[in-house]
Amino acid sequence: MTSVVTTSAPAACWACRAALGGSPLLCAACGKVQPAAGIDYFQVFGSVVGFERRLTIDTAALEREFHRLSRRLHPDRFARATAQEQEWSLAATALLNDAYRTLRELVQRTEYLLKLEGFEIGEEFAGKNKTAKRQPPADLLEEVFELNMQLEEMRMNRKMGESDPALHSELTAVSLRFESELAKLDNNLVEKGAAWDAGAAAGDSAGRATAAKDMAAQLDRRRYLRNLVRDVNEALSTDKES
Amino acid sequence: MAYSDKVIDHYNNPRNVGQMDKSSDEVGTGLVGAPECGDVMRLQIRVNPETQVIEEAKFKTFGCGSAIASSSLATEWVKGKTVAEALEIKNTDIVKELALPPVKIHCSVLAEDAIRAAIGDWKKKNNVAETAEVAVAAH
Repeated sequence: MTSVVTTSAPAACWACRAALGGSPLLCAACGKVQPAAGIDYFQVFGSVVGFERRLTIDTAALEREFHRLSRRLHPDRFARATAQEQEWSLAATALLNDAYRTLRELVQRTEYLLKLEGFEIGEEFAGKNKTAKRQPPADLLEEVFELNMQLEEMRMNRKMGESDPALHSELTAVSLRFESELAKLDNNLVEKGAAWDAGAAAGDSAGRATAAKDMAAQLDRRRYLRNLVRDVNEALSTDKES
Repeated sequence: MAYSDKVIDHYNNPRNVGQMDKSSDEVGTGLVGAPECGDVMRLQIRVNPETQVIEEAKFKTFGCGSAIASSSLATEWVKGKTVAEALEIKNTDIVKELALPPVKIHCSVLAEDAIRAAIGDWKKKNNVAETAEVAVAAH
């Protein structure tokens, strides 16, 4: 883990040489679009998130900045500019959209930050790194396994044209419990995100690393629960139709 | 993505699906999962205490076709092997046998983990040291 991460200082505008404040995609002085290469999502919204990878974000301000930049970077505005600027405006607009969609959601934002910080998060890394593998806690696995057994039983019942009201209501209760646990996990993520931000402000890289590790674990558990909630609800809705 | 014929065969006709008595001293149970994709896999072995040969293996997997095929194959392979021999099974062997594409390699890793977890559980129950080489009495 590196020490406190600040993104590289915004460079100067290629056209007027003014220092780039605000978003590195757009020169505030002359309004020219800037090349988007090598700019991460947090940098795109640097004026909102403070040119630092912060997780506690004012989403209303984020939305305002998104709309402002969307208008200023829109390819239509560059219809009569050079081919290079037209190309940059397309790239900048695409990056802006991706950045906004990712940063406005807590879970996506956290996952994105952890990936930038070198954590292997998400399905594409499953099992790739054998030494750093994270086995979920045994109690969670037991619970997941049992629940899957119940779901299978319900599907089998349904195939036979039967339905088991007791099982149905039991699974409904399970679904609700998981939903509330998901909400709890999200609250936890907000807290850990604040700890991450505080670590940044205090130059406490160890504190940051701990917060990042906690968040990675929370996201694992969340992914499991989210899949389960989806499966349970799917099974419940088809069960109802019978 | 297209599954290989072997994966489809194991998926349609999974070998050794089921469960054994978890509380039996002869039975080792491994329950593993991949948080990334939400798969969960239970693999059980029944070991002959005299010969340390795995006489029976059962599995139950909730996950994609590759995960089911990997664990099905794993139960076939461990059966008849001694505990020590079963530990030699590598996920890469499973990948080769089932022709798993790169994105499904983690399914084979999970199956190898499940074998190790089941054997680990059996060793714990029977006070076999994790590090000690399991001598094969049959020889």
